[in-house]
Amino acid sequence: MTITLEKPINPVKPPKPWAKRNKSTVISNAIAVIFPILVLAALFFTTEIPGPVLVVVVFFPLQLLTAGVTSFMDKGKRGIGDAVLSVGCVTAFGLVVALLGSVVLSVIARGFPAIRFSFLTQNNIYISPTTDLTYGGIGHALLGTLLVVLIATLIAVPLGIASAIYITDIKGRAAGFVRFMVQAMSGVPSIVAGLFIFAAIILTDVVGFSAIAGGLAYAILMLPTVARTAEEVLRLVPKEVRDAAVALGSSRARVTMRIVLPTAKTGLITAVVLGVARIIGETAPLLLTTSNANNTNLNPFSDPVSTIPVYIFQYLGSGYQTSIQRAWGAALVLLIVVAILFGLTRYLSRNKRGNV
Amino acid sequence: MSSSTLEVPGNTPTPRYFGREKSRTKSDKLFSGSIIVAALSSLFVLTAILIYLGSNSWPVLVEQGISFVTGSEWSTTDGVEVFQIWPMLYGTLLNAIIGLVIAVPVSVFLALFIVFLAPRNLSKVLTVVIDILAAIPSGIIGLWGFLVFTDTAAGWGQLLNQYLGWIPLFANDQNQFARSPFIAGWVLAIMIIPIITVVSREVLAQTPQELLDAARGLGGSLSGSIRMVALPHARGGIVGGVMLGLGRALGETIAIYFVLNLIFDVNIYKILNPEGGAIASMIVAKFGEATPNEINALLGAGLILFIMTLFVNLAANYIVKRSQREKLI
Repeated sequence: MTITLEKPINPVKPPKPWAKRNKSTVISNAIAVIFPILVLAALFFTTEIPGPVLVVVVFFPLQLLTAGVTSFMDKGKRGIGDAVLSVGCVTAFGLVVALLGSVVLSVIARGFPAIRFSFLTQNNIYISPTTDLTYGGIGHALLGTLLVVLIATLIAVPLGIASAIYITDIKGRAAGFVRFMVQAMSGVPSIVAGLFIFAAIILTDVVGFSAIAGGLAYAILMLPTVARTAEEVLRLVPKEVRDAAVALGSSRARVTMRIVLPTAKTGLITAVVLGVARIIGETAPLLLTTSNANNTNLNPFSDPVSTIPVYIFQYLGSGYQTSIQRAWGAALVLLIVVAILFGLTRYLSRNKRGNV
Repeated sequence: MSSSTLEVPGNTPTPRYFGREKSRTKSDKLFSGSIIVAALSSLFVLTAILIYLGSNSWPVLVEQGISFVTGSEWSTTDGVEVFQIWPMLYGTLLNAIIGLVIAVPVSVFLALFIVFLAPRNLSKVLTVVIDILAAIPSGIIGLWGFLVFTDTAAGWGQLLNQYLGWIPLFANDQNQFARSPFIAGWVLAIMIIPIITVVSREVLAQTPQELLDAARGLGGSLSGSIRMVALPHARGGIVGGVMLGLGRALGETIAIYFVLNLIFDVNIYKILNPEGGAIASMIVAKFGEATPNEINALLGAGLILFIMTLFVNLAANYIVKRSQREKLI
């Protein structure tokens, strides 16, 4: 039994003696941050030692030293560990932000000049790697990606949600085993998914290189993401909702299909979007299953089809100036699509706690 | 547990409403049956992968014998076909190790920063940044790695060689620094930092506040309480996250394909030499112009990669799960 206390109207904030700061601490901290930067800048502009060497040999030790000394003056011996911790954290933070910034900014800066209306709508027939950027584009690859992702979604979403229903709702004897298998499947490398579909349906002549083969390979990668997210979402459906449905005499199928799934609708859509975001940029499986094409092909069952990732791969490989610009352009489009999907998941799960 | 136990409200597991023995309607049976069949699809797929890759590559594997994984030659030219993947297998591990050496400290510090040090708003922003980094497709990382990052990282490699070249690890006998395992390791690190950071952040955030308060109350500094309380508490989860990252690193294909020079001659430790290997990238590189037998050999290489990642991934999940169970006690 639990006793709930009413919240005090004006909660007294606990005192935090360690958080107290006086003026000299602030000043010494500021010096500890600025001094190494000044030394670094001075050495960088006056000597000819390369920048990375200065950062590793001069800046880091100096930063650790100044941070250590100020913490020591502030808190005594215990402060030195704190200084190491904060320098390490800020370094890691700076490194990751710099790397991510470099990726995103270079894709935007180098991809933007290639983007124009014709680039988004035209296909690649009669286009050579040196053709001017005003002709040809990724229209066929956009449609191809849409087709392959659609096929993968149609296959992976029902199977993934069914796995989640089995684990959370039916709670059958094999629930633990199914969860184990889904986890094992989430570790399948994308190239292996491609090899498997290639061996299973292309080598055996069921179909040739085609969108359906690519969709099947994508579905293998998508299923675990959908199943794991859907499982988490279905767990959030309140027990009372199920209780009420059962008490009213619903059958098992009805409880799941009419009560549980509609309650978790937003979360399930998030699961689908996450699954799509997981697969949409994968190149390796498509190289082995859809191959590549220059024309628009909307027949899923025969003939190669082009997709954005494979388009990037193709044009990066050919090495000419204009073809590399095309690759950057396609990468920017792909990045925008991923960003939209990412924004969508955050929008959908914005008030997770309010309603499921 | 007997059913007569008094149940504490709010603490009951969701009951199974529909027992197996009770009679059910036909539609209910159909529903459960189809759900069970669909739920077993992952088992079906995993078994099918083993069977198809195994049966197709079996003749080649038998013909090549143990030297398929221990030899260093890949040739279809002289009429005699030789398929041996040791340099690729070793290279895959070498790249992954370099990637982990870079990624693990960065990720753990980043997770500590998000959980303990950063102001609330900054840690929210940083969480989103990590999610974005995880969402960037590997093809884009490959494009960036090939055209932007290689130059920078080759410069770092050259400096390492210039100042620390007397260490055998940083020796370089080709006087060329692009397309080396060092760069491949950096690219892998970028892709696994989000994985390790997310898992570490979650387990670190679960450190009981009472334990942290107690450590602070005894006069411990922040770094001291992290070292003595939070890190031991989160150790299992962090190790699991590292293993998940390792699984990802072993299977990475396209990004490595663009930044690494694949050579069928094992490069044991000279990480700055433009010589390396990676099974997944090798499959892509060889696939286009492969002979029928070669295709089967590539399927065999894929089978070995699959088994390797399967083990790493299952071990990772086991470690994460065990550490979570310990926490409940």
